Amino acid sequence: MIEFKDVSLTYPNGHQGLKNVNLKIEQGEMIVVVGLSGAGKSTLIRSINQLVKPTSGELMVDGKNSLAFNERDLRKMRTDIGMIFQSYNLVRRMSVLRNVLSGALGRTSTVRSVFGFFKHEDKQLALRSLDRVGIVEKAYSRADQLSGGQQQRVSIARALTQKTKVFLADEPVASLDPPTSHIVMKDLRKINREDNITMIVNLHFIDMAMEYADRIIGMRNGEVVFDGPASEVTEKTFEDIYGRPIKEDDKMSEQDEETAENETASHKEGDSA
Amino acid sequence: MREIEITKPKKPPMYWVKLGGIIAFIIIAYSVAFTNLDLDSAFRWEQASTMLQRLILGPFTDAAAIERIPELFMMMMETVAIAYAGVLAGSILAIPFAFFASRNIAKRGSIGGKGILNGIRSFPELLFAIIFVSAVGIGPLAGVLAITINSVGMLGKLYSEVIESIDQKPLEALRASGAGKIQVIWYGVLPQVLPEFMSYALYRYEIDLRSATVLGMVGAGGLGAPLIIASRSREWEQVGMMLLIIIVVVTLVDILSRNIRKRIV
Repeated sequence: MIEFKDVSLTYPNGHQGLKNVNLKIEQGEMIVVVGLSGAGKSTLIRSINQLVKPTSGELMVDGKNSLAFNERDLRKMRTDIGMIFQSYNLVRRMSVLRNVLSGALGRTSTVRSVFGFFKHEDKQLALRSLDRVGIVEKAYSRADQLSGGQQQRVSIARALTQKTKVFLADEPVASLDPPTSHIVMKDLRKINREDNITMIVNLHFIDMAMEYADRIIGMRNGEVVFDGPASEVTEKTFEDIYGRPIKEDDKMSEQDEETAENETASHKEGDSA
Repeated sequence: MREIEITKPKKPPMYWVKLGGIIAFIIIAYSVAFTNLDLDSAFRWEQASTMLQRLILGPFTDAAAIERIPELFMMMMETVAIAYAGVLAGSILAIPFAFFASRNIAKRGSIGGKGILNGIRSFPELLFAIIFVSAVGIGPLAGVLAITINSVGMLGKLYSEVIESIDQKPLEALRASGAGKIQVIWYGVLPQVLPEFMSYALYRYEIDLRSATVLGMVGAGGLGAPLIIASRSREWEQVGMMLLIIIVVVTLVDILSRNIRKRIV
């Protein structure tokens, strides 16, 4: 369980990223954070694993205030939180499998990892994770030979190999085309349902947020301005969050959705073959 | 088409006077230099032409020079080996120095790392060779050590520039997953930089092969010593033969290394 207690974050340049945020996130929730760019979505997500450190308040992770952690405790906490980035953040010259295995570094000793001696079960888990996102046949390809959508699925497999309870996804589909975006979001939701992993995802497309989220958190100017189940959310809610009328650009079109269904279907066939 | 008009800026008032003064100075300086030097006695056509003839054609006709080919070739191989051992050791030793000198890895400590590398590079290689010859004695070891330390200085700087230009995003991902500092370097930095490192090390080898022959002149092993002895005793056929061997081997190594480097990056 993750709990924000009056968390604020002021950047060194004086910009306030978070303002008195209070949130409670239960294990296994599927949460989408929405808001315009600069609203603090990214800051909110990154403060959970302290890629940015909040300047006041308490951030409770499993009952302990993570803001008081020393270097060692912080590293240990991070091994329990997987992260997916907008630009995939893979090592492009390394093989897909090695990228995925790097998810297991947190529980592998430095000596073992320097010589590449990963445990057999970690290698199996890496391959199984690649299989779950449907690209196990690419295991020995170099990461930069894959398409954007495939690279994002490698990064999901990397997070799966980390064996975590929480996934943070910072704009995971912002660099992808609509059909691929749906494949990636479906993978994330599937993992949420099957493994009971808490998903906290930043998105800026409102139709995608409504389709995949159980709970939506809306942010504006560093403040949480909406927090509720996705079923209660309407376009009016988004207009309140964004503070302006909804435009076509805020959505992905319906047609893209259909192509995505077809792609997912063929991607499943490929798996069984 | 529209005519474009722009006024050329006027020359400053003293321009022609200054220009005239500079030209006059150059002419006077030249005439003084030429009239004062006894060029006639320093340069004789017939002497120079026989020397060049012996240097360029000699190696193909002089029996004594041809006879020495296997011996000289082996000495050149010694030079090749000295350069190889030196660069290999230097290219590996340079890696920790490079990390220490990189702003994105060592943060503020990088100033110290850069200082060490700058210090090493400010010594001429020949000076290192002289120092090592007196420290470990005449022979290849002195040459290897001189090249090693010099390569550390040069490659360390080049490596650290490669490290400073890497993509930081994968490192963020590794840190976010709880990987330690060494693991981040091993899995995030090294795969990005190793191909460039190898390419620079090969390039450095091309350079050091040439300087290894020069180092031989101060007794650091290889072909340099016989080269300096032969030229002191004016045995131009021998000198020509050695230069010929150096040119052939250096060219071959250059071609080989360029092809390998093309494949790496």
